[in-house]
Amino acid sequence: MELSGTSEKTVTARAAGLVACTRCTRAWPIETQVCGRCGAKLVSRDENSLQRVWALWIVGLMCYVPANVYPMLRTQQLFQVDESTIIGGAVDLAHYGAFGIATIILVASVVIPLGKFWAIAFLAVSVRSGRGFASHHRLLMYEVVEYIGRWSMIDIFVVAILSALVQLQGLASITPGPAAFFFALSVIFTMLSAQAFDPRMIWDAQADDDEAL
Amino acid sequence: MTDTPPPVEIKSTKKSWMSGASFIWIIPLLALVVAFGVAWQSYAARGPVITVSFTDGSGITAGETKLKYRDIEVGTVEEVGFSSGLGLVEAHIRLEKDIAEYVDSSSVFWIVEPEVTAQGITGLSTVLSGIYIEGSWDTEIGTAATTFRGSDVPPLIRPGDTGLQIAFRTTATGTLTDNAPIFFRGIQVGQMGRAQIGRSGAFAVTEGIIYEEHRNLISSSTRFWDTSGFSFSFGPTGAEIDFSSLSTLIGGGVTFDTFVSGGEPARDGQVFEIFDGKESARNSLFTRSEVDPLQLSVIFDENVSGLTAGAPVELSGFRIGSVDSLSGIVDSNQFGDSRVRLNVIISVQPSRLGLPGEASAEAALTLLQDRVSNGLRARLASASLLTGGLKVELVEVENPPAARLEQTGTELAIMPTTESEVSDATATAEGVFTRINNLPIEELLNSAINVLNSAEVLISNGDLQRVPGDVSTLLSDLSSIVTSDDVKNIPVALNSTLTRVEGLVAELERQRIAEVLGTTLTAASEAADAVTSSVAGVPELVEDIQTVAAKAATLEFDVLIQELTSLTSSAEALVSSPETAQLPVALSGALDQLNATLRELREGGAVQNVNQTLASARTAADSIAVSARDLPDVITRLNALFAQAGRTIDGYNQGDELSRSAQAALRDIQQAAGALEKLARTIERNPNSLLLGR
Repeated sequence: MELSGTSEKTVTARAAGLVACTRCTRAWPIETQVCGRCGAKLVSRDENSLQRVWALWIVGLMCYVPANVYPMLRTQQLFQVDESTIIGGAVDLAHYGAFGIATIILVASVVIPLGKFWAIAFLAVSVRSGRGFASHHRLLMYEVVEYIGRWSMIDIFVVAILSALVQLQGLASITPGPAAFFFALSVIFTMLSAQAFDPRMIWDAQADDDEAL
Repeated sequence: MTDTPPPVEIKSTKKSWMSGASFIWIIPLLALVVAFGVAWQSYAARGPVITVSFTDGSGITAGETKLKYRDIEVGTVEEVGFSSGLGLVEAHIRLEKDIAEYVDSSSVFWIVEPEVTAQGITGLSTVLSGIYIEGSWDTEIGTAATTFRGSDVPPLIRPGDTGLQIAFRTTATGTLTDNAPIFFRGIQVGQMGRAQIGRSGAFAVTEGIIYEEHRNLISSSTRFWDTSGFSFSFGPTGAEIDFSSLSTLIGGGVTFDTFVSGGEPARDGQVFEIFDGKESARNSLFTRSEVDPLQLSVIFDENVSGLTAGAPVELSGFRIGSVDSLSGIVDSNQFGDSRVRLNVIISVQPSRLGLPGEASAEAALTLLQDRVSNGLRARLASASLLTGGLKVELVEVENPPAARLEQTGTELAIMPTTESEVSDATATAEGVFTRINNLPIEELLNSAINVLNSAEVLISNGDLQRVPGDVSTLLSDLSSIVTSDDVKNIPVALNSTLTRVEGLVAELERQRIAEVLGTTLTAASEAADAVTSSVAGVPELVEDIQTVAAKAATLEFDVLIQELTSLTSSAEALVSSPETAQLPVALSGALDQLNATLRELREGGAVQNVNQTLASARTAADSIAVSARDLPDVITRLNALFAQAGRTIDGYNQGDELSRSAQAALRDIQQAAGALEKLARTIERNPNSLLLGR
């Protein structure tokens, strides 16, 4: 992205010898260790950020595998027990003609988590290589990922609500399967991974790009 | 801006890299460790896979169907497929590791599914939960195996069961029910398995188990009998219906009892026979020993219609066995043609042959072989009149064609036969009934009715009622004979004759014809003697008449039978016959003639006529003598007649309160019944007469 009309290069706080408090946003000299206003620890750049991102990302991905392999819902009707995985359930729904719900489940449980993994991995890689994507778009992507993170638990909410509601003793009951647990773990680690990402690195990359230009 | 010393940043970055790295990477490492740990644990906890093949998939589902042992889940079917050639369904079952080593080659597997039988409903839980596979193995680790043959039904005897394992065999006509319970005093103490048909098809066999705690109830002298169904009998004590319990009525069952003490404890594998009822079971104890029957094959050329399984096999009228089965046989090598002959398999009970020493099938065979070489042959004979049933008889025939009883290999020995007793008879039930139809029963009854009718007619006959009158007439006739003037005149005539003879003699003395006269007198004397003797019989006659009259007086006059009538008639005829009537007349005539001659002699005085006269007198005297000699015969006959009449009347008089008509009628009926009885006895003694019409 070219900031056309702006001849000035991007100037980071770090470049200006300052460090901003990430909690109260007050800027301090770069040597400052603790925010004098709110008491938060001040770090100009979190050097471990990418490591944490990757570590949590890997754990999240590891949890995502059993979340899809094991059954999500255990539906017990009068004489039969039905266990369905996430994708299996969506396929079943599509077979019954409920394409809308199948699409929602697929989007919420498959597309979005996979998209998050991809997005975080992309951001983590791009701040290193710094190629191919405008810093604004990267920031937007980061904010979308972080915003969506809290809604990624919607599957778990559905399972929890169903399990609580459908408990007709003997006739029908729904209990969460092991996949629910792993799915929740996966979401949690993905969120942690996204939060571990230090978005200021985007601008460092931008600065590098500018220098390169 | 350029004051910031880059080297410091690099150093600090390097330091924090190292420290940071060791901190956050713990989480994924931990996750990896946990994941690998779980994976390794689940892998290590997995048992081996065994393959159980069934004839029928019957609801086995991969991933769902469980394997249970003593109703506890010990494995899961992972995969269901077919054996090569699609002959069997193979279930691959993942066992739990801790029990896997017990699943050895002696294990058995079967499918538990809901089943409704007469004995009850089993496997009801599987209606909801789906079928499962039950396995059973003993508690010892044996030879390992991974392939098994599953059964569709639970095995009767599971590995490790300690009950008494015995086998059952039916009698030739008995039946068996699958899985029938074995009861003792109403308590189930055992169970029979699936019934199968025995090797020769003559009986059904099954295995059974007596539970361990009841093992000591069974000994070698225990007898089992069938309690299924019910029996109904109708006899002098009334109708009787008997069934053991409602469950055995529906589902069958077997019970047993040990009627005598002293049997040895039963061993595993011992074979017991199941009798039809308690009585036959009890009887068998005394008539039948434990030995196996000797089976023989008898091949008949003739029609064996009427011979059934269970029919008796008799030796000299004593039952030594029974017919096991009947079948056709075609063996052109052996018989020379391809006709279908009838192959009757009989079983002979060796213990009935009275063998010395141990009674065994071999000993019995040896004995029969010996007897066969001496002429023992099998033949068919009539066993039952009504059903036309046949039996097999072993009889010794004179000069039989040579034959031997030989056993070759596993084939049954073939007993030679001889001509059947019923070979020419169509001894069918139809024939028998036809003959019964042809019995002159109606004629017999008609005759009986006629007899009764005749008796009634006779009794009500006027002639019969007139018999007393006839008797009176007869008596009066007799009386008139005795009192007739002619008879009375006999002495008078004699007297006058003698008077005249006296005169004549005096005159003859004078005329010296004494020698001639002597002869005449002698003749006259004989005549007189005869008359005297004949008259001497008269008192006896009168006495007899009196007896007759006395008896006749006590006679009940309303009935007499034809015999008396005919007796009376014959007596009447005798009395009223002209000869009898004329007898005194002739005698009288002769005397008169003598009188006249003597008178003529005296009056005429013609000496020349004397000789002639005397000759004639002698002739007359002779004839008198002859006539008089006949008289005793007449009187004797009359005597005999009256004695007979007396006896007859006496006989009739001997009747007690029963009216003689009834007596007579009854006697006729008795005779008729006697004849009937005799016919029945004849039939009974010789049923063949009915069959053969002779």
